[in-house]
Amino acid sequence: MEKKRKSWINWLIFAITAVVVFSLGMLASSVTERKAEESFVYKPKVKLAEWEPRNEVWGENFERQYQSYIKTSDTSFRSKYNGNAMIDMLEVDPRLVILWAGYGFSKDYKQGRGHFYAVDDVVNSLRTGGPTGADDGPMPATCWTCKSPDVPRLMSEMGPVEFYKGKWAGKGHEIVNHIGCADCHEPESMNLTLTRPALVEALERQGKDINSFSHQEMRSLVCAQCHSEYYFNKKNKFEEGVPYLTFPWDNGFSVEEMEKYYDDIEFKDWTHKLSKAPMLKAQHPGYEVYMTGIHAERGVSCADCHMPYKTEGGQKFTNHQMQSPLNNIANSCQVCHREETDVLVKNVYDRQDKIIENRDKLEELIVRAHVEAKQAWDWGATDEQMKDILQGIRHAQWRWDYAAASHGGSFHSPVEIGRVISSGIAEAQETRIKLARLFAELGHNEEVPYPDISTKAKAQAFIGLDIEKLKKEKELFKINLLPKWEKLAKEREDKWPVKRY
Amino acid sequence: MKQYIKPPKKWRMPVAILLGAFIGLSIYLFKVSNATSYLSDAPETCINCHVMVPEYASWNHSSHREHANCNDCHVPHDNMIHKYYFKAGDGIRHATMFTLRKEPEVIKIKEAGIEVVQNNCKRCHGFVNENISANNWNIKDVHSGNGKLCWDCHREVPHGKVHSLSSTPNVILPQQKIKTPDWIKKQIENRK
Repeated sequence: MEKKRKSWINWLIFAITAVVVFSLGMLASSVTERKAEESFVYKPKVKLAEWEPRNEVWGENFERQYQSYIKTSDTSFRSKYNGNAMIDMLEVDPRLVILWAGYGFSKDYKQGRGHFYAVDDVVNSLRTGGPTGADDGPMPATCWTCKSPDVPRLMSEMGPVEFYKGKWAGKGHEIVNHIGCADCHEPESMNLTLTRPALVEALERQGKDINSFSHQEMRSLVCAQCHSEYYFNKKNKFEEGVPYLTFPWDNGFSVEEMEKYYDDIEFKDWTHKLSKAPMLKAQHPGYEVYMTGIHAERGVSCADCHMPYKTEGGQKFTNHQMQSPLNNIANSCQVCHREETDVLVKNVYDRQDKIIENRDKLEELIVRAHVEAKQAWDWGATDEQMKDILQGIRHAQWRWDYAAASHGGSFHSPVEIGRVISSGIAEAQETRIKLARLFAELGHNEEVPYPDISTKAKAQAFIGLDIEKLKKEKELFKINLLPKWEKLAKEREDKWPVKRY
Repeated sequence: MKQYIKPPKKWRMPVAILLGAFIGLSIYLFKVSNATSYLSDAPETCINCHVMVPEYASWNHSSHREHANCNDCHVPHDNMIHKYYFKAGDGIRHATMFTLRKEPEVIKIKEAGIEVVQNNCKRCHGFVNENISANNWNIKDVHSGNGKLCWDCHREVPHGKVHSLSSTPNVILPQQKIKTPDWIKKQIENRK
């Protein structure tokens, strides 16, 4: 039996439903509105292009980070061995000139300053010579790879192969901004990102997916893009003859694993001027050595000590003045280690002192080995007789350089570095025994005199370097070519508008 | 009963339309409010509302980032029912305040939340500070002046000292994926 509903009830239901739907709509619109607010609350001042290399443009959006970053221009801090002052390492240790005879590093090698000087210092270094034009000079374009956020800009335009092609001077006008924001950050999200193909490829070859890394791991990997051992692979898969920047990590990170990698492909960086040994140059295996140390094992990243958090006006942010933690003990070491500053500094210096003691010993042995090998050639030794000896020199110096070039290695991983140096000493002495036997075979039994290399100038004269000529070439380059680069760069950058919101 | 639910013939059309609108709108609301994210423990959920960004950003610059997300500290973990009951209660209050624009310039933790967080400090750090008498205090002792909360001393853990809606102007909100530039990806693709 159906009872008739009164029509006002129907109208009431209608009205209530309408109100509910209206409220739902209001809620939905409120959610949308407040979501839209977000993009205004956190709206940056400048719209960054994907390739924006100018650090000062990024700096408009991230003032605190930028202000701390340009403090990498400060060169007033010297620790016992390093710091951010420019130290002429060849003056400090003239033995290096002998070790690198026949290679650019014997001309000029200075302790690196801050990121702020990346472009200046590579331009000023005698190693890059005094090119007179785009196709002149001793170094390939590859040498620019770690100097500037202009590099990812160019690589994204032309591809890495094209970038590595040609002489260093060929790209001089393109690269003017020192290492900075775009090298590690993605402009859209400010996520840490890897912009250098060499690291990405090395990780891929190790079977690691670059998207699988945690934020904490990325806080070291962005550094590893440059602070790693590398070589210029001319037999690369892309184009024969182009010095393609490659990390020798396929077997692993350790000194032996990389050595095996190089031996297997019979790679050499140069032939030593005195001993004729097929040499390897270790280039700052900072990341590899750090990975073997206790801090890495405990999950501490590079940024945790070299870029500790900082508070300003109640805001916590990452201090972008990358520097020696010894200049900022309070925010680096003391966050975890509750010891007095001077105790912590002593702990670091103790490790460095002990490592350097044996490193110097090894250096001297290798200098002797080079000089003795040269003597052996002079006395008429044959290739056959020298083969093992030269290989020994190669291995000993590779071990020395792996330890020496890994700045901070004696702190990052003192046990590993100690082990590497010990094995280098064993290798060097083994080689010198072979040399002594060879001398006997050649009818000699006297000590080969240790050269007088008490100063940089004497050492450079000993290996026959004409430094004055190099300096003159550099000077001419700075008068003739460098201003042209700067002019072209300015013209280019003037054409880039800064899009402000 | 049926006669009250089933609309009379001539009403069926408008009722169907209204119900459709109602359900459609509900689905839309579900979508824009990112509703399913509230079931997860992802810290990004908490910044669905941008007033929580300063809390997110300060946590993201702290050592707790590696080991604890928002829910590890801010919801109870004694049992499942309590956890979701508390989470829902907090969530509804937050959503209401945010919708009505009643959020304060400085967000402060409420009484119930204090207890939850204190218990969660103990939950993880129990072993580390088992010899500290602080671990034997409960919230009642604190109220009667016979104890302290962990963050009465550890004042900056993990959100820092200063909280306000404007304390983190340059924060870039997270995107989950670490992006590699496309041209590098292409390189690798080409080589394979």
